[in-house]
Amino acid sequence: MQSLLRIIKFAFQDLARNFSLSFMTVFILVLMLLSVNTLWSLDVLTNAAVEAVKKQIDISIYFVPEATDKNVNEIKSYVAMFPEVTDIKLQSKEQVLAAFREQHKLQKEALDALDELGKNPFGPTMIVKTREPKDYKKIIDALNVPEYENLIEAKSFDNHEDAIERLQNITNRIERIGFGLTVLFALISFLIIFNTIRVAINTQRMEINIKRLVGASNWFIRGPYFVESLVFTVLSMAFTMAIVFLGLRWIDPYLAVVLPNGFSLTNYFYSNMLVLFGVQALAVLLLTLLSSGLAMRKQLKT
Amino acid sequence: MIKITGVTKIYPTGTPALRHLNLHIGAGEFVSIVGQSGTGKTTLVKMLIAEERPNKGTIEIGGWDISNIDPNDVPYLRRQIGVVFQDFKLLPKRTVYENIAFALEVAGEQRHRIHQVVPQVLEIVNLAHKADSYPFQLSGGEQQRTAIARSLVHRPKIIVADEPTGNLDSINAAEIVDILKKINEFGTTIILVTHNREIVNHLRRRVITLHGGEIVNDENEGKYKL
Repeated sequence: MQSLLRIIKFAFQDLARNFSLSFMTVFILVLMLLSVNTLWSLDVLTNAAVEAVKKQIDISIYFVPEATDKNVNEIKSYVAMFPEVTDIKLQSKEQVLAAFREQHKLQKEALDALDELGKNPFGPTMIVKTREPKDYKKIIDALNVPEYENLIEAKSFDNHEDAIERLQNITNRIERIGFGLTVLFALISFLIIFNTIRVAINTQRMEINIKRLVGASNWFIRGPYFVESLVFTVLSMAFTMAIVFLGLRWIDPYLAVVLPNGFSLTNYFYSNMLVLFGVQALAVLLLTLLSSGLAMRKQLKT
Repeated sequence: MIKITGVTKIYPTGTPALRHLNLHIGAGEFVSIVGQSGTGKTTLVKMLIAEERPNKGTIEIGGWDISNIDPNDVPYLRRQIGVVFQDFKLLPKRTVYENIAFALEVAGEQRHRIHQVVPQVLEIVNLAHKADSYPFQLSGGEQQRTAIARSLVHRPKIIVADEPTGNLDSINAAEIVDILKKINEFGTTIILVTHNREIVNHLRRRVITLHGGEIVNDENEGKYKL
């Protein structure tokens, strides 16, 4: 217990007496963590934007005016059986008519023509949403059967097909580039931190040698560096979290304008805080421990 | 006390440092080891504190064969032998008091014992008034006296001093040798590795002369001969 307390005391003494080196190590760790968090946020934002666009895409199935409720419900049940389908909304022919009137209330000619017909020319409409844009093709194909040919007047999917495909390509490309950038940056950060700590320990080579000569055990020499790794981790995580949350508070109002449904990065970080920062803290701790362990290994050989 | 039997040390580069060395140093002796540069004096010191291992032969200290000492036991050996170097080897960011206390702290000594022992050894080397100074604030002689004080904290049976006066002027050098003599009078074995002819001749104690890694002369009241 006494040795442990001494190891902690020596660690804090070393941190204070090598303040500039300690500051630089924490500073580089904070930079690395901020970069990781920025990339992470970009990934979350891209996904949120893509999801928002995907949500705006749906397939509208227009039935002929003669289609009965029974026909429509039968097709609705059939479509609902597909696991890819997430939502189905039905509009009765009356609702479609009301919507048309509302939409064209300023176009007198259109409304007059409708009145002249003397009956509702619209059929019911079914709006289907699926998990992924690529799933719409499957639903369309499923409805292209002879039984439903006379009931369905039109399907609106064709108009979106190109847009969906383009979006899918862009999403995939962004994900690939983002992943590549994250891996590259993590590698660069690892090398920078690894070398910073190695340099820090190498500058103390003489001290380590002296400690060995006066009879310090390897663990007594290693201990303070491990405690320092822990302190570096705690400090860099604390600074990073403070900067990240301040940054999020500043950026969130702008995001709210761009992204619908009140998406908030702050909320995302709060709800995933344990995993997000837990993983980062663990990674930094392992990185600093590994760096100091490897740097000392050579010097502690007897 | 120290029994070296048939010790040979050849470095990986192929350079032989010691050849078939046989040596016995009794308890309470004051032995000077002299010789030109590269004759194996420092290698001998390094082997006594297990910083180097012999290729052949055995080294026994107080009956403990340290030729193939377990790395985990090295710290315990070093707490039993006081070592003083030419370049002092003080921790630059610790005060005189902290440098001396450190040797006790690593051995797990209680705080009250440290508070008791450190002032005692500071008194022996006459540095009590410099306890709070950092090494860079001390003269060479004061730094070496700090190193000697540190080597004394475990009340070692042996003190190995490798060129302790090498960086000092003649007045400071004489002061260091006086302190070593005083320590020897308490019964501690002193092994002094030196180039300083004046000191060796003035001591009138046992002198071992090394040449080419071998003992070429060993006299009980010897003089510096090269």
